[in-house]
Amino acid sequence: MTSYRTSFIFLIPLLVASGLSGCGTTVERLEVDEVRDLSGEWNDTDSRLVSEEMIDDVLSRAWLRESRASRGQRPAVIVGEVRNLSHEHINTNTFVADMERALINSGEVEFVASSVERQEIREERADQELHAREDTRKEMGQELGADFMLKGTINTIVDQSGKQAIKYYQVDLTLISLADNRKVWVGQKKVKKLVKRGALRL
Amino acid sequence: MRASGVNDLKKRPWSPRKALILDVSFIAAIVVAISGCATYSGSFGDIEAYLIQDQPQQALAELEQRRRFSRDEVLYLLNRAMLLRMDGAYGDSNEALEGAKKLIEKREAFSITEQTTSLVVNEALRSFIGEDFERALIHLYAALNYLQLGQPFEARVEALQVDVLLRRLEDKNSKNPRVYTEDALCRYISAMIFEELGEWSDAMIAYRKAYEAYTKYAKSYGTGIPIFLHADLLRLSSRQGLREEFKRYEQEFPETVWLSVEELQNVGELVFILHGGLAPIKRSHETRVIDPGSGRLISIALPSYEVRPNPIARVRVTVAGRSENAVVVEDVSAIARQTLEVAMPAITARAIGRTVIKDQLARRAAKENGALSGFIVNLAGALTEVADTRSWVTLPSNIYMARIPLQPGDYTVRVDVIDVRGHRLKQFEFENVNINRRQKTYVEKHWLSPAV
Repeated sequence: MTSYRTSFIFLIPLLVASGLSGCGTTVERLEVDEVRDLSGEWNDTDSRLVSEEMIDDVLSRAWLRESRASRGQRPAVIVGEVRNLSHEHINTNTFVADMERALINSGEVEFVASSVERQEIREERADQELHAREDTRKEMGQELGADFMLKGTINTIVDQSGKQAIKYYQVDLTLISLADNRKVWVGQKKVKKLVKRGALRL
Repeated sequence: MRASGVNDLKKRPWSPRKALILDVSFIAAIVVAISGCATYSGSFGDIEAYLIQDQPQQALAELEQRRRFSRDEVLYLLNRAMLLRMDGAYGDSNEALEGAKKLIEKREAFSITEQTTSLVVNEALRSFIGEDFERALIHLYAALNYLQLGQPFEARVEALQVDVLLRRLEDKNSKNPRVYTEDALCRYISAMIFEELGEWSDAMIAYRKAYEAYTKYAKSYGTGIPIFLHADLLRLSSRQGLREEFKRYEQEFPETVWLSVEELQNVGELVFILHGGLAPIKRSHETRVIDPGSGRLISIALPSYEVRPNPIARVRVTVAGRSENAVVVEDVSAIARQTLEVAMPAITARAIGRTVIKDQLARRAAKENGALSGFIVNLAGALTEVADTRSWVTLPSNIYMARIPLQPGDYTVRVDVIDVRGHRLKQFEFENVNINRRQKTYVEKHWLSPAV
């Protein structure tokens, strides 16, 4: 009798290890602002928090008022590169897009298409030269030149010991005047996480 | 078998016949469960044959067709990533490597069921998470893939990740000098990435770490310090104004000809990397003896590396009328062998422990249910005793590198692979290799000699 028991003790982990405990895929829909950290890596919540904070900051600073006062019109901004200098493969496009949307919708600034987008539009304009009706054709050389470029970096410091790691992210965004290279606004957002990796699993 | 009376039958819910059926099903379950891992390294021949014929697509198709267990998923992803990059699918290769990284992180946690199983059945039933050196090489290949894709900042992420991993290994294993805790080539590629991005300080630190690691490699694995590292150390220490360090390198490498940062920025650079041969493959060596006292079968299985011969003695790169030898920058075979050597005492101890446990189970089965039951449990234990032969078998045996500064332009690069007798084993020609000012152009080739 005991040997069957020992046999089954033997067998149970084997069956589990053989993947018999596997389950089907389940999907649960979440609110986009719900915080759910899975791996401890940079995620949608970090992206959203950074963009929200940066937008509030950039729209409340003196550069905007001064620029409008000196030019008499809304400043034109272009998004440059946000460099990922972190330990993770972070997609910076999401919070750059969030910032772009909030800035355009605020009505306080004009936004110029990025260099990749401009290239595509120029190709379309060149195509119009050949194929579009004259009264609908858009002329070359009428683009709006940007006054400021938004650039930035994401940096991280990782401190780890055993199964624990502290991840410190710092996002720096800078608005630079294209006329004279002046930095007119610097935004910074820090995110700090303590990530504990599981010591045990089934 | 013990005679049983009516009372005995009442006490025991299962008859000896049922017991026999259960034991037989138990063996069947175990044999089915381990059938994949028992022959893992043995069944790799077809994939190897395609690689020798330089047909990575067919090798990949073969890999995809193979039945695989959830516990071997990391291994599958690593081999998939390697075959994809051999085929030039660098983006897909990185997708597989990222998948492997995530899975390793999850499976690093101690698994109660897997540990119990490996304690009583065999170690091949644990989830494969790779040896430390294999995990560092994931970052190396991911970085090389990003460099091939023209994404130096993503390659930089891999350089930072491998630094985190190597620091962790250093903290964990600092006591035994034979334990792998540092990877010279990972440090060296990291330094090249930082330098190309103009991050001089990080580049200097990484070159320095590469130098320290290669010094250790020379003793541990017989890999010399690459000649171009001398030039890198002189260039960067000079650029950073590290006078004492620069003087020290000048004394250490008096004959090194080197270009300053400014001179190197006026030209481009060809970085040729040959991934030669295949890393050694693990085999299971089983010893089965019958204990004369009890008549029980005692089985013990241990892994050992079977070295796959790598006939490459020299790799000569010729471009624009200039020839340079590519040097060994990573001897993966030597690292793998030493890693197993270091792990062998623990593997042997666990195997002996497992034999004792299996013998105890057979003894109890015989005592409580008769000799036939004991024999069946004993046989099951012996049959399931196989060594864990899993390893990242598509890794190369050696990695060779040449760095050649060139004026911007398009070039044809010729590579001759030469054996010890000076005979040419293979010649490759890469046409229209574009060299740009201030940039490194990476040209890579995986090559297996038909003699493997």
